[in-house]
Amino acid sequence: MQREVDTLPLAPALRARLAAAGFQTAQELLDTGPCGLSKEIGISREEALEALQVVRQECHGDAARPAGGSGATRKYTALELLEEEQSQGFIITFCSALDNILGGGVQLTKITEICGAPGVGKTQLCMQLAVDVQIPECFGGVAGEAVFIDTEGSFMVDRVVDIAAACVQHCHLIAEAQQEEDHRKALETFSLENILSHIYYFRCRDYTELLAQVYLLPEFLSEHSKVRLVVIDGIAFPFRHDFEDLSLRTRLLNGLAQQLIIIANDHKAAVVLTNQMTTRIGQSQSTLVPALGESWGHAATVRLILHWDNSQRLATLYKSPSQKESTIAYHITSHGFRDVQLPAVTHSTEGTELNPRKRPRTEEEKQ
Amino acid sequence: MVVLRAGLCPGLTEDMIQLLRANGIRTVVDFVSSDLEDVAQKCSLSYKALVAVRRVLLAQFSAFPANGADLYEELKSSTAILPTGSPSLDQLLDSGLYTGEVTELMGAPGSGKTQVSLGIAASVSLGLKQHVLFLDSTGGFTASRLYQMLQAQTEDEEEQARQVLGRLRLSFVLQLEALQRIQVVRVFNIYELLSALQELRDRLSQQVVSSTGPLKMVLLDSVSAVIYPLLGGRQSEGLALMMQLSRELKTLAREFSLAVVVTNQVTRDSSTGALKPALGRSWSFVPSTRVLLESKEGSTQRAASLAKSPRQPTGIQVELDIG
Repeated sequence: MQREVDTLPLAPALRARLAAAGFQTAQELLDTGPCGLSKEIGISREEALEALQVVRQECHGDAARPAGGSGATRKYTALELLEEEQSQGFIITFCSALDNILGGGVQLTKITEICGAPGVGKTQLCMQLAVDVQIPECFGGVAGEAVFIDTEGSFMVDRVVDIAAACVQHCHLIAEAQQEEDHRKALETFSLENILSHIYYFRCRDYTELLAQVYLLPEFLSEHSKVRLVVIDGIAFPFRHDFEDLSLRTRLLNGLAQQLIIIANDHKAAVVLTNQMTTRIGQSQSTLVPALGESWGHAATVRLILHWDNSQRLATLYKSPSQKESTIAYHITSHGFRDVQLPAVTHSTEGTELNPRKRPRTEEEKQ
Repeated sequence: MVVLRAGLCPGLTEDMIQLLRANGIRTVVDFVSSDLEDVAQKCSLSYKALVAVRRVLLAQFSAFPANGADLYEELKSSTAILPTGSPSLDQLLDSGLYTGEVTELMGAPGSGKTQVSLGIAASVSLGLKQHVLFLDSTGGFTASRLYQMLQAQTEDEEEQARQVLGRLRLSFVLQLEALQRIQVVRVFNIYELLSALQELRDRLSQQVVSSTGPLKMVLLDSVSAVIYPLLGGRQSEGLALMMQLSRELKTLAREFSLAVVVTNQVTRDSSTGALKPALGRSWSFVPSTRVLLESKEGSTQRAASLAKSPRQPTGIQVELDIG
């Protein structure tokens, strides 16, 4: 293989020595063999053997790739990808307006970011999605399990019980209306205990734990192959306070984003992140923008910004590879995320059963 | 700095190499720059053999000068200009994407870089019937959106062609063929990207025509996603890998007459608060043309302005519709 030595994933010190000794391509390294290599550049035989192993893996990975491509090499024609996408399901949110602007729901194999001010409903949406991913296929869901990584401690099991009970009831109503055999069979396994037992919950207290958890996630996902949703509630929280070195933060966040994309792609899961908002102070005005900086904006494939308009909650699709920018209104009831129905607008202040630590918004406070 | 090895050229045997090494001549440079009469005496090798070896080594390892007229003729015959499918973007790029060069599209999140690259891929595959390689490092490639764009472009062509019989089936077949000509490789870190480029180079140099066909364009979306995790801090290998990547892209473009399109992010300048392209000064020398995409509030229009070009004056702005 004519692969240059500089492009191989070896340690920098080793690479420098190889360059000084005059090795240019991987083929030369393989020809020399471990004894010759250790003599020429002055490293031990074990190190030379290890380095040659890495080189051989890279080069044989190149050569062994078949022309048609396979899952491990991630090479496809656009036609194959189109067929795959059309057969892929979406994770619905039970708010049909939101599903519409997202193109059917939260997409698998992509990273979706939900940004919003405190109290607007980000954690509610995450909990709703963790329940909705488990809807059986005959009802239009993806029949998967969920991983919930919590950094802020805002996951309330009682609330998930409410949402899950409403979802099960909804499915029962559909089954009664349609009277089909597979609906009834699916409903036997789709119960409250089942839903709760398939949400895998992790609590990470600082950024090191979060990074470690994401690093170990591929192993976990290969054991639990039915997982179709990974939620990280509060990716901004561990990175925003007590971080002195901002360039380290950018580096870590970008590395994290790449790892999450690999997870989303390899395991066909949707990754949902929630982000906080920060104020950017311009010359004449200040605007609310998503936190973690400009470069983080490129990490997510789909970006949804939730905000208030007087007492109405709105969701804006800010960035998507296939849908247009648009804004819709939604509503959070005791059953979870729902569409806005006109008579229900007046209930919006009391119907918001958010976490008890968030103050309910009232008319006077907004003025 | 290539080490002398047996078999590097016909006259070079293992014994010769051992003798040369004993006298301190290890690399090609040492050999070519040494006094051959001296070497012949010290190593007791034949002078004629050494001169023959040196001639072969020079032919293999040195660069030959070419005069400007020959270079011009060669460029005229090998460079092609690929239209991007959007007339205003073509106007900005001086009638299209030039093969043999690296073009960069940069913009803030949501400004339309992936959309424009999908549009370019669709136009080259459908309109010019050339193969396209799309390297996706962000997971933003959506085949259904590409299909939508192909459908929109086929409708335009149909109006111009005005065929009557079997129009629907013909356009569907055209779209399917266009989709098959676009190959997508998902690379999520720098080493995967480099090995994908290496594989491309091997395929092109062996001229395997069967499955790939005439490849004319390589799109990389985005380059900053794979390089950002490596830059910064006290490690300098990130910069070295970035330069290695840029060399690989430029030599691919030049040697095989490809048009390489790269998308890049923008970051905020900490002192002035203005937006500037990511990856810093070193990367800014790599693409020969840079286009900045900016979004306008609440519409599908985007403003594209030329930030760097070898042919046009910078600062030209056009409007693009990515709807």
